[in-house]
This record gives sequence, structure tokens and C-alpha cells, in this order.
Amino acid sequence: MSDSENDNSDERTAGDKHVPLHERRRPWWHWQRLTGSRPRLGVTMGVIGVVAGALLGGAGVAWQAEAGPFADDRACWGAFGQDDAAALFEGRTGGKADVKSSEVPITSDRTGAEGSSGQCLLTADGSRITVQAHQLDTRFGGAGDQWADEFLSARLTPLGGGLLGMASDTRAWLAVPDGCIGRPRDADVNGGPTVIDMATGWTIYDDEVGTEAPDRLARAVVRLVNHYMAEKGCTGTIADPTGRMPEPPRFLDEQKDAMCGVKGLPLPRGYGSGSLGRTLVTRGAGPVRTCDRRVLFHHPELRLMTVEDPRLAMLYERLSRDGAKDPVKAGDQDGYGFVRDDMGMFQAECQTGPVTFLIRADSARRPADIRTLLPRFVAAEADRIGCGPLHITVPAKG
Amino acid sequence: MKKLLGGARRRAALVGGAVVVLVAAGAGTWATDTWPFDGKDSYCWGAWKEDSGPGFLSREALDEDNASRTSKETAPTPRRQRGRCTVSLHSERFSSDGDKVVEKTEVTVDYGPAPESAARRMEWIGGYLGDRAMPLPDSLPGVSDGRSGLLVLPKGCDTHDGRPTAVTLDSTAESVYSDSTMPGDAGLGGSPSVARLLVAVANHAMEKAGCAPDQPLEVDSPVLTLPESRETFFTRACRIRGLELGEEAEDLAYQVGPVTRDLQSCSVRQVRGDGRYFDALMVAEPRLSALFDGATGSKAPARGWRGTGVFADTYKVVRADCAGRPFTVLMLAPSLHETRPYFAAFANAVARRVGCAPVAPVAPGGSDR
Repeated sequence: MSDSENDNSDERTAGDKHVPLHERRRPWWHWQRLTGSRPRLGVTMGVIGVVAGALLGGAGVAWQAEAGPFADDRACWGAFGQDDAAALFEGRTGGKADVKSSEVPITSDRTGAEGSSGQCLLTADGSRITVQAHQLDTRFGGAGDQWADEFLSARLTPLGGGLLGMASDTRAWLAVPDGCIGRPRDADVNGGPTVIDMATGWTIYDDEVGTEAPDRLARAVVRLVNHYMAEKGCTGTIADPTGRMPEPPRFLDEQKDAMCGVKGLPLPRGYGSGSLGRTLVTRGAGPVRTCDRRVLFHHPELRLMTVEDPRLAMLYERLSRDGAKDPVKAGDQDGYGFVRDDMGMFQAECQTGPVTFLIRADSARRPADIRTLLPRFVAAEADRIGCGPLHITVPAKG
Repeated sequence: MKKLLGGARRRAALVGGAVVVLVAAGAGTWATDTWPFDGKDSYCWGAWKEDSGPGFLSREALDEDNASRTSKETAPTPRRQRGRCTVSLHSERFSSDGDKVVEKTEVTVDYGPAPESAARRMEWIGGYLGDRAMPLPDSLPGVSDGRSGLLVLPKGCDTHDGRPTAVTLDSTAESVYSDSTMPGDAGLGGSPSVARLLVAVANHAMEKAGCAPDQPLEVDSPVLTLPESRETFFTRACRIRGLELGEEAEDLAYQVGPVTRDLQSCSVRQVRGDGRYFDALMVAEPRLSALFDGATGSKAPARGWRGTGVFADTYKVVRADCAGRPFTVLMLAPSLHETRPYFAAFANAVARRVGCAPVAPVAPGGSDR
């Protein structure tokens, strides 16, 4: 040690006053000037070590804190990593997508009257995916029916396994399990379930629905709900549903006596097959069976729908009791309903809870068909889901 | 180092080696958090650990004055297929007006076969499966309402006479004031948490009893559906045709539990005092259904009934085939001397819902309603 101390003092004077000519020509940072002697080498190595250590340490801290260049660009409230987000755009953009995201955190307003809500938008090369977390609004005039239009369309397939959720090639939704946030109560102003849904745009409606895209969206929506539950501190993880999901919906080759595949429901005149558009029907057992006929821009000319899950049927509770239309007659305590020129519905009180039977046309051109179809549709579907016998009569057109 | 170490050096090396081993072991346990003396207690045959989730196992539960958590347990053995464990919490606090309040919580787990006596067994089944109990996640053969629960164990744990063995969990909680006692929350953490408590304790008990399956029972999924709220304004109970209770319904409330292919319950209670009017239950899930084995008689309970059954003073039970599965309906009531056909109405309405032939005799002309 003492040796090197001596060396050091010697060298410092030498370095300052007797730098050899060939060294002076070199800039101070030249490696030969920096390492020209043992002490100098030591000082240089020390400085390099400290700098390197500081960099490494700082990087480590940054990595730990997920800051700076190590910031984890997780999208949609932290549920998706970059790769997950890119995978969602698979087939929509060429190669691996560079996904940008922006989001509004999931919060509830001060009174809690609107439930929790939040949004997340993913974009890549002109494609976009919209993710929403919200409590479905059951109020008349609320978003319920409009949401149902898109997210309960016949293109979607139930996720199965008792889950309250569905997926198609462009839409997916899943309710947060009751065990985590409680069951929605009909006493609430908007007693709908809290769902996370995704929309990836539009498809040509006449295309068959494959399995790949619905599987991808089903997994994504399960991941979003699992992440939401974990953030809430709830126990349990929903398993990948894709193995047990029913087949995608099929285009029906309708029989004359089984409109929408419902036995005993005769096809009205003028609804024959082979004309414009095709008829698509949901498969699987609940929560919803939808039959969409002749769809244009996601709007079916005629929809026949059975909403079996009581938490979802709540979306139609208020509408069914709207007395301004012609109410239908049913057995005492069997339920409520009405018909009008473009719509007929019955909200049944089944053993499982409220069940909605709905027939809706995009125009009021064929009011007689709705009046003819509704009682038969309700009777046949009620039998299928175990809510029969259910007989309703429609008032004469006055 | 080539020479053998001398005495002093060898001692130093030994001590040094021991220190190194201890430090390494300590570092290991610290890193993996497996210190054997972490001061955390465990209960019910090692199934539940202190601070592992639910409130009654938390450290905070002991923060109050004079707080203690004690447990008693008797483990099942291969020779004795019964076990019980109890975790008790006791704490004292002073209310805002200076009164002393004693908080008492007790959580009890029982391991053992379904009761042998038919009457006691029906009461036992109805107590766990009725009212607000909902099925456990992951298709486990059990139920929970968040305060209590039942899990039927695999066939390997059945008794010699074929009764299934079950793990049950019960809880009580009360706040004792100087002049009154109020019911409280036992801090089990709701039905998702009870499902996990049941599965953990079932796995440990089966290990002790020597009937553990190759793969331990598991619960991963969340609880998807909770029961609807109690209904007090009604005349038709549980939306079931034929359960029109008329004016009597004014003082009653009904609670619908699960309504699935596996399980359905409808409980009607007095609004005041919560006394039972009746509890109606349908069980088709195979392992839950096995709880009734040997207690549903050998012939039809009365003329016109399908399957076998027993009409006793406090219960009526009937079992019939439904699409290849046993379909069992049970009604419990303080006294079934009443002649109103609620049981028959329930049995046939539920049979119809799941797509089966009627179980009770159908009145002529009344088949549709």
C-alpha cells in the first residue's frame, strides 16, 4: 500500500510537468493517457467502476420502479402487456402491431349512482379497439337497449361455464362475478350487471363467424375481468373459457314451421328464405338466445331474442311495464308485456327469475306479424328454457 | 493447506463453517419466507394459517383489548372417521358511552358422515343447502352462504354403509352489551372465502383420515352467482306455480336460492322471528344427492307418487329418476299435518322445469297449471 502511495505522489508531479511529447499530442481521454501507469490506471478504473455502478444501480431502480426506458407500457388499466395488446390486432394489421393506448381509469362517481366506469382505447395502424367497463343502465332510455343491440347480437356466442358473458369476432363482454362485487340489486336505480366489454369494429355481416377471433376476444375479456378482480382484492381467477365455448352461431336453413329454429313458430308470409340476407342464431345454453334476420349495418330487420339470465333480463324490466302500449294478457303473476307496431315483448316471472322474450323489427311496416308471432314465440321458448307452460294473448288491434 | 490443520486452526474453521451454514440457512429462510418460528399460528389440522386472508384469522382481530384467539381440535384418523375443530375469538372494547362490550366469534368445522337418523339427516341437509346457500365454484359438490358451508368428500371417504362424508363449517358471532346481545359478522370473508376455507380443511382432514384422493381438491374460480334478495311482498312463493300462499303470505317472506339443473331451493319464513314456514329443496347433483342415500324409503310415499319416498312428521322426501339422474325433492316444515299440496306443487313444477315427468300425482285436468 505504501508503495502505491509513493507512486501516486511521484506520478502526479511527473504527470503535470513531464508529460512526454507523444502523450501530450493525445487528448486527455486517450486510453493510453488514462492507463499510462498503474496509479493512473487505478484512478481510471475507479471512476469507470463508480460510473458503471451508478448506471447499473439507477437502471436497476428504474427497472424495479418500471420507470424511464423500463416503463412497462401496460395497456387497459394494466391488464395487457405490449405483446398482449399487439396480439389483439393480429390479422388486422400487417406484422406485429405497434399499439398505442389511452385510458380513463375505472372509478365511480361520488354518489355511486352510476356505478363504476372506465374506458380504454387501443389503436394500431388505423385499427382501433374500444374497451369499456361500466354498469349496464336499466333505466328506460338508458344505454341498455342500445348496448343489447350490439352486444347481444346473434353473432355472439355464450362463454359457457356459468359465466355471464359472450364473444364474437368483433365483440366480447363479461360481467364481473357476483362473488367479487355483489349481485346487482333490482332496488338500485340502475340495477344492471357491471361488465367489461370490447368492440373491435365491424365485419361484413354475411360472413360466417370463425372460432379464432372470438376465442382471442373471449380470452382478452376474461383477462380484463380477472385483472379487475385482482385489483379489487377479490379471490378467484376465471379460467380460459375457450375450450368449453359452444360453436359459433350458424346461418339457419329455416323450415317453414320453425322460424329461427324455434319449433312451432311458423314463418310468416314474405319472410321466406332465399330472399335478401340470411338468418343467424346463437348457439349454446344461455344467457341469451338471439335470432337476427337480414342484418344491415349491424341492425337486424327482425330480431327474436330470449334473455334467460335474470341479471341481464333486468335491462328490459322497466320497458316491459310501460303502460302506454297495448299490454298483453297473461296468467296471474306470470309476467308483463306489450305489443306495438314495431315491437312485442313479454317479461316472464320464471322460477329462475325474470326472463325477457322480445321481438323487434326495424320498422312498423308489419305490425300484424309481431302480434301473430309473439304468443307462439313466448310459448315455445318458455317450454325450451323450463318456464312453461306460458300462454299469453295479444289484444286485438284497436 | 496441504498439511492437516492444527488444533486451534481446526476449531476456528469449524466455528467459521458453522457460522457460514447458519447465515446461509437464515438468508435462505428470509428469502423464501419459510422461517419455522415466524410466530404465525395455524388452526384446524394445519389447514388455516394466521393472517391468510379472512378477518377472523387476521392479526388485527387481536388488536383489541384482552383479545385472544384459541382453538380446540380433534383430528380424524383412519380408525375414527370423525373430527372437529373450533377457532374462538374473544375480545373486549368500550362503546362510545363507556359500556364494556364483549365480542365473541366461533368458527367450527366438522368432519364426518351424514347423520344416520333420517330425520336428523334431512334437517342437516336442509340447514346447509337451503335458504341463501349457493353452489361452490369449480363444480365442487358443496354449498355456502358466506356464514356456513358444506362440502361432500370424494367416494373414497364414504362410510362402510355407503353414506358420504362431508366437511361442514359453521360460525357464530355476537356482541354482548351489558343489557343485550347483538348478532355480528364472524369475518369469514364471504362465500368465495368460505369455499377456500372448506377446501383447505377438507384436504388436511382427508390426509389425517387416510382417504385423501391422489389430487387434492382445488378451488380457483370466483363465485359467479349470489342469491337474489329476500322477497316480502308476494302471494306466489319463489315464482313457483302452486305455491300461492294467499293471505298467509302477508306475514311471510321467501328466499330463492340456486335454480339450476343441479340444485334448487325455496325457503319461506316468518317475517317476524324468522321462524320456518317451509324449506323446499331439489337436489340432482350426484354427490350432493348421495347425501340422501338410504333415507328415501323403498316404496312410493303415497298413492300416485313416482319413485320412492317417506312422508314423516317434520319432513317429506321423494326420489325419482329424471333423465338418468336421481332427482330428490325435500320439504321441511315444523308440522306437515297440513293438507295443502305445496310439496306436490313444488315437486312437479321443478320436475317440469328440468324437463322430467311429474313426480307427484297430477290432479285430473290440472296438469297445465
